This record gives sequence, C-alpha cells and structure tokens, in this order.
Amino acid sequence: MPRPKRAPAPALDLAGVRAHLLPNGLRVRLLPERSAATISYYTFFQVGSRNERLGTTGISHLFEHMMFNGAAKYGPKEFDRVLESRGGHSNAYTSNDVTAYYEDFAAEALETVVDLESDRMRSLRLTSDSLEQEREVVKEERRLRTENSIFGLMEEQLEALVFLAHPYRWPVIGWMEDISRITREDCEGFFRTYYAPNNAAIYAVGDLDPDATFLLLERAYGDIPAGPRVAAVPQGEPPQRGERRASVRYPAQAPALLAGWRGPPARSPDSAALDVLQACLAVGESSRLRRRLVQELELAVSISIGWGWRIDPGVFLAFAELAPRASVDRTEKVLWAELARVAERGVTAAELRRAQALLRSSVLHELATHHGVAHALGQAEALLGDWREAGRALEHYAAVGAGDVRRVAREYLDPARRCVVVLEPEGRP
Amino acid sequence: MSPRISLPPIRRERLEGGLSVIVAERAGVPLASARLVLPGGASLDPSRRSGLAHLAANAARRGTRRRTGAAIDLLIESLGAELGAGVDEDASFFGLSAPAEALARCMDVLAEVVTAPTFPAREVDRLRRREVAALAHDLDEPAVVADRAVLAAAYGEHPYARSPEGLVADLTAARRGDVAAFHARHYRPQDAFLVVVGAVQAEEVLALARRRLRAWRGAEGPQAPLPAPPPPRPAVLVVDKPDVTQAQIRIASAGFPRRSPDYFPGIVASAVLGGGFTSRLMEAIRVNRGLSYGVRSRFATSGAGGIFLVSTFTKVETAAEIVQVALDETARFCEEGPGAEELERTRSYLCGLYPLSLETHDQVCEKLADLELYGLDADEVSGFAERIRAVTPEVCREVARRYFPLERRVVVAVGPARAIAKPLARFGPVRVIPARKMM
Repeated sequence: MPRPKRAPAPALDLAGVRAHLLPNGLRVRLLPERSAATISYYTFFQVGSRNERLGTTGISHLFEHMMFNGAAKYGPKEFDRVLESRGGHSNAYTSNDVTAYYEDFAAEALETVVDLESDRMRSLRLTSDSLEQEREVVKEERRLRTENSIFGLMEEQLEALVFLAHPYRWPVIGWMEDISRITREDCEGFFRTYYAPNNAAIYAVGDLDPDATFLLLERAYGDIPAGPRVAAVPQGEPPQRGERRASVRYPAQAPALLAGWRGPPARSPDSAALDVLQACLAVGESSRLRRRLVQELELAVSISIGWGWRIDPGVFLAFAELAPRASVDRTEKVLWAELARVAERGVTAAELRRAQALLRSSVLHELATHHGVAHALGQAEALLGDWREAGRALEHYAAVGAGDVRRVAREYLDPARRCVVVLEPEGRP
Repeated sequence: MSPRISLPPIRRERLEGGLSVIVAERAGVPLASARLVLPGGASLDPSRRSGLAHLAANAARRGTRRRTGAAIDLLIESLGAELGAGVDEDASFFGLSAPAEALARCMDVLAEVVTAPTFPAREVDRLRRREVAALAHDLDEPAVVADRAVLAAAYGEHPYARSPEGLVADLTAARRGDVAAFHARHYRPQDAFLVVVGAVQAEEVLALARRRLRAWRGAEGPQAPLPAPPPPRPAVLVVDKPDVTQAQIRIASAGFPRRSPDYFPGIVASAVLGGGFTSRLMEAIRVNRGLSYGVRSRFATSGAGGIFLVSTFTKVETAAEIVQVALDETARFCEEGPGAEELERTRSYLCGLYPLSLETHDQVCEKLADLELYGLDADEVSGFAERIRAVTPEVCREVARRYFPLERRVVVAVGPARAIAKPLARFGPVRVIPARKMM
C-alpha cells in the first residue's frame, strides 16, 4: 500500500514564522517556505461591511477597487502594469469583516511588490474620475452577483432577516442607491481611518529571507503614520423571538429555499463544532441532507450548508435548489425534521469520523500552496485574533465530540430562531 | 525573471490490458491525486442522446459488482477522499483526491467504478431526473446559457456544438440500456490512461495499478476519429431572457486545435487582447468606460479544433456598445500588433503565473493528463517560458489576424430581446431564440 515518504507532518508548521510589530502599529508575519521559488504576499485591513453605516453601504468594497487606481509613486494604471511586467498578479476581496489584497509572484519581484503595496498604503490618490468609473464597474458587479443571480437575490434577503441591528444586515457590495451616493470625501475619510498601518497586517509566505524581508518592510512602511482608533461596531442585535420569513418572486424555472440561523462569533469554540455539523449534514454524497433530499426523495437538485466564520456572530445557512415541480412545503418539513433529528439524537461515531476526515483533507488542500498558507494566517489573525490559530484547525476539529455536534445543533438551529427565504418562480408556463 | 519550472520525475507503464499508467512522486502535503481518463467524452454522444457520456460517467459511480452507490459514497468520504466523474468535449474522466495513506483503498473503488459498473436502473433513472432538473437551474444562470449558446452557434453541426451536460429532451429519452451500451463500447483500456501524483511511492502505485487494472479488457476495433469542425458561420444571436438587467455577451471566431503550432503565439496574443488586468479589452471596457466588471478573451482549444472567444457582460442599455468596443479594440490590435512594452509585460505575466498553476498535486495531475490526452511532450511544461518568450510582435499580430473575430464571427447576447435585438442588428442579421431552447 502506498505510504507517504515521511510521517505526516502537522498540517502547518508555524515554528518558522517571524512576527514583528512596527512602531506605527503595522503587524508583519513572514514564513520562509522554499518548496517553490514563489512568494504570496497578503495585506489584510481590518475593515469590511461591518464597519459601514447606512447611506454609504458598500464603501469598503468600492474602496477596494479604488486601491488599484494610482498612488504618489505609481500613478493610475501602473499598479497592475508594473506587477505583471515582473511576472506577478494581484487581486483582492472584501468580506463582512476584512479587506484583503494579495500578490503572487516570482521571488525576485519581492522588492517591487513591497514598493507597490507601501506606496498605496502611504499615499493613495483618490480622483473623482476614477471614483466615477469604479462606481459603474461595481454596479455591474452588483448586477452580476446579486440582481441577476438567484442565490444573490435570496442571500440579500436572508441577511436582512437574520440581522435587525447589526451591520451584517446589508450586503457587502452595498445597496445600489448607496453605491451611487458615496463621495470622494467619504473615500478619503475611509482611507485615513481604516487603511492606516495600525489597522493592517502583512503576511508573506514563500521563498524569502525573513531578516532581509523584515528590513525591507521596515524601510518601506516604517514612516507611514498611524491612524485614529477605529470605532467599535454596534453589537445591539436584539434576541429573535420567532421564525422570520421572506419570499422572492422571480421568473425562475424552479423554486429554491434558503434558511439561516444566527451562530456564534468565529472565536467561539462552537465554530469548529459547527464546521463538523456542516460536514455531517451536507458535505459529500453520503451526508444526511444530500442522501435524504437529493437521493431518496428527489426534492432537491442540490443542498449545501454554509457556515462562514465571522468576527461577530455570523450565519449558519442551508440552501436547496429544488426540483422544478417539488413542493417547497414538503422540502421544508423534511429539512426541519432532519435538523431536529440531529439536535435530539446527534450523529453517530462513524458520521463524526467521516466529517473529521473530510475536514482534515480540506485543511490540507488549503495549506498546499504559499497563497493558501498566507491567507490562512491572515484569516486566523483577523477573525480569531491570532495567526497561530491557522496551525490549530486540525486540533480543533479532532477535539469535537459527537456530543458537541448535538449540542450546537440544538443551541443554534432552534426553529424559533430560524429565518427562511423562499424563491417563488413566477410566470412559469 | 520567472522561476524554473519542472515536472517531477515520471514513471510510465503500459499494463497487459492496454491501460497506460503514469505516476509522479512529489513532496508536499500528504495527499494524492489520481485521474483516469477515457478519451472521446461528449463528442461520442450519439445523435439525439446528448449528455449520454456525462450520464454514463456519473452513473458508473452509482454501483459496481461489489458495492452499491451509497456504499461507494460512504467508503470514499469516510477516508476523507473525493471521487468525481466528469466529461468534456474530448474525454470522460474520473478524478480522485485522497489522503496519501488512503490511496490504495480509493483506487480499488476507482478501478471498480470504471471497469465494472452495474448501472442499477433505479440509480440511472434518478440521476437522469436530477440532470434534467439541474438544467432547469442552469437556465436561470445567464452566463451558463451564454456559454451554451456560443458553442452551439460557433460549432454548428459538429459534436463540439453540444454541451456535455446534454439537452432536456435527449436526457429525458435516455434509458439504462443507452448508458450501459455507451460504457461497453467506449470504456476501453487501450485508449485510456491513469495518472497518479502525490506524496506516494511510484513503485507501490504501479504495483497497485497492475493488481487492480491489468485484467481490464474493453471492446475491440478502431474508434472513428473526430473530424475538424468547420469555421463558424457568421451570426448574431439573441437568446431571449426577458427579465434580466444585464446582458451576457460572447463573441467567437475560428480557432485551432490544442496541438497546433499556433498554440503559444495564441496564448500571448489573446493575453495581450484580453488576459490579466492590463489587457486592451480590460482597459477599454472596464478602466476607461466602466462598461463591465470583467472581460476576457482566450483560445478554447480541443482535440479536433477550437475557437477564439471573448466573454463579457454589461447592463442591458450598453449591450451593443460593449460589442462595438470589443470589436474595435480587436480590429485595432490586428492592425497594429502589440507594442514592445506591452508584449514584454504580457510575456512576463504569463511566465510568472505559470508555476502557480502547477503548485498542487491536483494541478500537476491534471496537467499530466492534459499532455497525455493531446499527445504532447512534457517539455511543453519545462519549455513554457522559452516558448512564450519566443513569440515576437510579428508572430503575435499574424496569429491575431488569422483568428481574431474580424469578419467571420459569431456574436451572442443573452438578455431581453425587446431591448437588445435592435441595437445589435448593426453587427448583422439578428436571430432571436427563447432561452429555454438552449436546454
């Protein structure tokens, strides 16, 4: 039987990480890893839609676009040109909690990347022209991902049901009207507050010398002044006392069902147990909900569970695409019954082992590239407050017992605290 | 400028029954990736049975002489592995991703699924109903509809015109007998190959493959070669989806097969026009006009032929404008060719990106399978940078002029016909079809 050449290493060996704090508050984490002559360079800013206000929702995401439009040293259109000419590529994403930028590149382009990234953190140039152009681009992105996407339409409704007071209520991309309203002054204030070095962290993983890289970063970022303290995010979400429902009427071919419950914050030990519950319920063909809803009853074409770790309590959601003539009521009944069964009787030891094996593989896949490791470090620090957590995922999953799975199912998937969005196809022949 | 690229040492063996086995040991995470490839794929679908290769591959997973479909699911997943089946225009394939220590048990299942599926009628019927239902959901995805429509329009009567997932009418008519017959006829070790890559020992994998797959025999006789597709007939097609607020746009023209000498010049030319964030189309459409969130161009290359394809989307009101901008930029590029700095940047970008596409066991496994399927040499990988660097401005312009959509082209727009058909008429006579006809 084929065996690995060495005993399986821990998923991620973080002994080599060098962690530094610059006087201006910038956190730097460097991990030399020389399996390939490339580097992945992530910059995490601790800002996302949770830091926004009504009227300018979507500014975190729109601002992410603005970061590619020129700074003092590298002017408009230069960022990607310079990077691509050095054999690198870049992208970014904005979530409810963070905005993250990355470059993946051949190791010898490191100085160029540091120069590009520090230039825009120090001296981004925000012009009205580039704002107007990005505004239109973002509107197209919203049309693509939300207005003409069934899941996008439903998810927007669901978040607005799950949260009454918390900013997770609005979509990361923002409301269309707000995207139109954001001004250049809004962007400038946003930059000064949230893109200061004390609200950022850099993760570089790959073929690098940690001492030389740290000196390089110190020189490039050390003189960027710290910014103001970031305002706390409102946490006054009132308790939910009963099911909340919404329907979306849309000219679709088939119905769909999206349900959500407010879960714990990512830092809670229950987060890992909810990942295990997710795997038991809907990861793989032999998961409970796939077997029941898709294979046995043929009510659904697909069923998935999303448990997204967030800084503040996030959403545990279930999404089912139904067969065109399937009954939504019946699908709901079966889904609720399956969830109640887990909450009452838990999962078997074999189901637990299966879920843990699948989660282990998924962690190994994530950590197979420099990019994956750099992202995992940043994500762990942004959501859990410590990059070391990136190396502990397997430990946390292995510690989850069947009793924990039952407990979190009972605690979080309470029928009186669920939110349900139903897609009702209209105009079907 | 860009890191050295090399594939791990490769062991090859042809088993008694004809199956080729290709194994590469790699350091890295303790996972292994395997891919069993059966050339032919959806292009072997009989007439009025589109989707059959796809159905057969997925149905093969639903039961063997020794195990039920449910038992297969449970065994594979309990080991932390994934076993998937898929089909494209040139091949059916079974992909396995497993913890290295579980590879042997997973390979047992893989071998059974490919060589001894029983196609239980209940499971085949259920899968078929699920595939049909999934097509209803696909119809609600404008981008999926556009991709289907452009293949149909560009390839005409050729088998590449059909989506591997098939049409509702064909799938509805398919029976267990069709599936079993497809398997009996087309799953043949003499054409097939198995690639295994990962933190494993090559000798042990080869021994395992011999034990499990040596005795596999398939139908005899030659497989008919697939003819080259004719060049696209010019057309402007509006696929009517009355309620969307954004039009999905595709523009296609004749391309070349994967083995063509134009492959590397084509990669460079299409990247200058529509790859990366600094391409001409990106600059004209997104940066200068804010017309779209994204636009890209590429050569889609297959065994018997290929197409050149531009993909983008924009609000309904600017559907014709975006097509015009894309065509103007394309014409300008064909006229001028790339600038020196632009070409240099694009070549560096492509060479820098390439090693990142070969980082994981899965990626290397897929690359080796691709080389084998199209009869390409491994030095295509090690020599990638050299070949990209060898593309001169003249060669780039020449390949653009030969293939880019200047005259003979297909324009497809998915959106509300009442709003977009008339403005698009400036590109040729418009044919409107309801979206459901694409399924």
